[in-house]
Amino acid sequence: MPGAEITRELYWNVVGTGFPVARVLSYILALAAIVLFVKGLFRRGGFFDAVKMMKLASGPDVPRTDNAGQRLKYAVAEVFGHRKILREPYQGVAHLFIFWGFIALFFGTFMDFVQGDIIEPLFHANILQGGFYLFFSLITDLGGIMVIAGIIMFLVRRYAGRPKWLDDKPEDRIILWLILAIVVTGFLIEGLRLQATEMQPGHPMHPYAWYSFGGHLFALPFAWMSVQAAKGLHRFVWWLHLFIVMGFIVYVAYSKLLHIFTVPVNIYMRNMTENPAPLKPIPPETFETAETFGVHLLEEYSWKDLFDSEVCMRCGRCVAVCPAFNTDKPLKPRDVIQNLREHLEAKVKLSLDADGKVRVIHEESYEGPGLIGEVIEKDAIWACTTCMACIEACPAYISQFPKLIDLRRYLTMMESDFPAEVQEVFRGMENNSNPWNIGSHARADWAKELNVPLMSQKGEAEYLFYVGCAGAFDDLNKKVAIALAKIFNAAGLDYAILGTEEGCCGDSAKKIGNEYLFQMLAETNMEVFNNYKVKKIITLCPHGYNTLKYDYKELGGDYEVYHYTEILDDLIRSGKITLKNPVDNLCAISYHDSCYLGRYNGIYEQPRNILKALGLGAPVEMASHHEKSLCCGAGGGRMWMEETLGTRINQKRTQEAADAGAKTVCTACPFCYTMLSDGIKELGKGEEMRAVDIAQLVAKAAGLE
Amino acid sequence: MNSVVCVKQVPDTETLIKLNADGTGIVTDGVKWIMNPFDEYAVEEAVRKKEKTGGTVTLVSLGPDRALDAIRSGLAMGADTAVHINDADFAAKADPYATAQALAAAIKELEYDAIFCGKQAVDDDAGQVAAYLGELLDLPVITLVIKLELSDDGKTAIATREIEGGHAVIEVPLPAIFTAQKGLNEPRYASLPQIMKAKKKPVTVKTVADLGVSAEPMTVIKGMSLPPERQAGKMIEGADAAAKAAALAKALREEAEVI
Repeated sequence: MPGAEITRELYWNVVGTGFPVARVLSYILALAAIVLFVKGLFRRGGFFDAVKMMKLASGPDVPRTDNAGQRLKYAVAEVFGHRKILREPYQGVAHLFIFWGFIALFFGTFMDFVQGDIIEPLFHANILQGGFYLFFSLITDLGGIMVIAGIIMFLVRRYAGRPKWLDDKPEDRIILWLILAIVVTGFLIEGLRLQATEMQPGHPMHPYAWYSFGGHLFALPFAWMSVQAAKGLHRFVWWLHLFIVMGFIVYVAYSKLLHIFTVPVNIYMRNMTENPAPLKPIPPETFETAETFGVHLLEEYSWKDLFDSEVCMRCGRCVAVCPAFNTDKPLKPRDVIQNLREHLEAKVKLSLDADGKVRVIHEESYEGPGLIGEVIEKDAIWACTTCMACIEACPAYISQFPKLIDLRRYLTMMESDFPAEVQEVFRGMENNSNPWNIGSHARADWAKELNVPLMSQKGEAEYLFYVGCAGAFDDLNKKVAIALAKIFNAAGLDYAILGTEEGCCGDSAKKIGNEYLFQMLAETNMEVFNNYKVKKIITLCPHGYNTLKYDYKELGGDYEVYHYTEILDDLIRSGKITLKNPVDNLCAISYHDSCYLGRYNGIYEQPRNILKALGLGAPVEMASHHEKSLCCGAGGGRMWMEETLGTRINQKRTQEAADAGAKTVCTACPFCYTMLSDGIKELGKGEEMRAVDIAQLVAKAAGLE
Repeated sequence: MNSVVCVKQVPDTETLIKLNADGTGIVTDGVKWIMNPFDEYAVEEAVRKKEKTGGTVTLVSLGPDRALDAIRSGLAMGADTAVHINDADFAAKADPYATAQALAAAIKELEYDAIFCGKQAVDDDAGQVAAYLGELLDLPVITLVIKLELSDDGKTAIATREIEGGHAVIEVPLPAIFTAQKGLNEPRYASLPQIMKAKKKPVTVKTVADLGVSAEPMTVIKGMSLPPERQAGKMIEGADAAAKAAALAKALREEAEVI
């Protein structure tokens, strides 16, 4: 057979004829490792106990197993392609090296096993020879070097430049050193074998020695060694390597290494509904009948919520992007998930019967820490702006912030326990259908001097212009509503507003946890929409946009919802609006991505297109933009709450704009507009900077001021 | 301690008020109705006392059908039962005296250690009902209470009143009437289970005739008028701060005539 000399003896120097016991011993070791691994999964409070608890979890969940083909395709692409992991280039590349390196090594080990333990003993043949052998040699060595490179990158980050959002537990270091030890001992084995064989001149494989380039490098320090000494050391390192590998396998069950198995499963089960961050449905009819709302006991979460906690490997990306954490507030999304996991594993131990079954502990007889207040502190629950940066950043497809909204729901609806200033907001929404609690009769006052068609007069229109509370009541944002009305009029758009028939969309109520109030507002609005047979809706506010698009749909309202940036982009493209006037005095313009436009709905380019159409070129980007854009601080009902902890989010964002050299910060969201306008004032930058809404710029450029 | 709380349904303070054709009242169509905010302090205080010492809280309200909403709000805050004097005609023309007659008649049928009222209703701002009740029921009246403590035996109460530039602490034997001032407490936001429970709490509906009240109002509203519409603000122009200040001073003296 050609090339038959290009091969090597498997288990060379270890499982030769002289050592029949060694093969048996290695099998026993492997078996022991597998047994200990499985035992680890089934240990008290371990993964499978957690699964038992998941089965008790009663919270509703979105579908997780529909569209199997699509899910599988996506999960495979994500796992092997590392799309989300690579969003952080340094960590991403390091992980990619380790991941693909391991796959190469696994392939190598697997081929060793197939050849050495199946084909050779049973068929006395050799597939590991010739060109394939050289390829196999090259690939496994390349894999090993990639793993070492990745591990070194991680070690450098952990020991020399650990960012403050990355926590540092013993297992984090143990895992890195363990993997390094496996690969280094592996290369030492190879190197010592080469020293004793292929590197000796005259050996038939001598010309091919460099195909094992990794081992070759590791062999260089041992070039002085005699063949006999190299063989002795080789045997020792071989066993050492085997022990470490088996230890590693066992450790997978006891550490965050389990993510190797759980993360692909979690990606497969990702949220495939339209709504990018769905909250648990509360069917309207249950308000009369259900005894409790929201979550205050672990078991009230959905099984997937609990599974999420077992998946998290503490990478901290959610913390790095969290606006609350970045302004020194006591919220770290990762810790919410990790505390939940700790709570889960502690509670499952208390809930285990002697026969290993998990029973629900009655609230009265449970003595462990309470979910709200102790496991997750209230300040953390209220610090969230629902900006979705955590969900967007998570490479494990965990849903972080909705778990906090579940707790808010309990606090708000069951305990009336929310920041004091929120009560007036609820009252405003209840009595006047706006959070400012301005008389609802004043809702259309902004449109008085303009020729804005009313739905009640027009009867029907292609588009309903849903102004929302900010555009209708807030002086700053009324200017945006006016600008939009003028643009729509000039473009000849067939639209109308509801005037005083319009109500609050309820976004803030929903995100503060008052689902009951939200649904009352939604039902009232949908009734009006349906009266006028509304099909298409343009919203001024991204919060209304998101709420009408997804949350109303869950309640049965089916509308085609657009944000005004989508409409304006279209009107400009189609030439229905001509931007004839130059927009002056705008040097260095930056665009602030609204969370509910960007991360929630992928509207990144339309606002930027509009800015380009204004002849201003591409906007200067701030340190964080697009998917990573920093929240203005007003989402999740935070608009209405005092910001007493840490520093102010709006000031941090304003500073980012200033640092980017922006003189004009463009927004497309009334909350952002307010927060950034305030931020500019608070930082004393009123002379050199200004915030402006894109609609105002378009109106000005179109000569509609 | 058993308490009675008088509650009144009033137009929301932000709602658009329009006068009726003859100018003696307001157009009630399209008005958003709420519980009088001062009555919320009264309900909250009664509920807190109940939570501390036991007993019951009964609401009494005079008003048409829609007043039931205000009653349900109070029940959701923790009151146990309510008497709804549902008499639209009587309520429409009742002055504070007639209102107090109806309320007193209903209260007489109840057992109580204290009666709580808001210090005034924010619609007509009369602030007289509690005083009339004191007269009709022969009870002491402590107005503008911002703090209320009960003695251990429940026989007396110590109330702190707000007075010009300070506080007065007053001891009074129970039963007595207290009118609630802002600051007495922070009224709660009713929890969802409480709102649902309130829908099932008993509300006794009575007419004025049922109560044997035949009082006629002692006063009649002859006319109402709305305050003049607020003038738009005026921006003071000027080249610099000094010029603007001069222009402002001139405007204050010549246009506003205030200096």
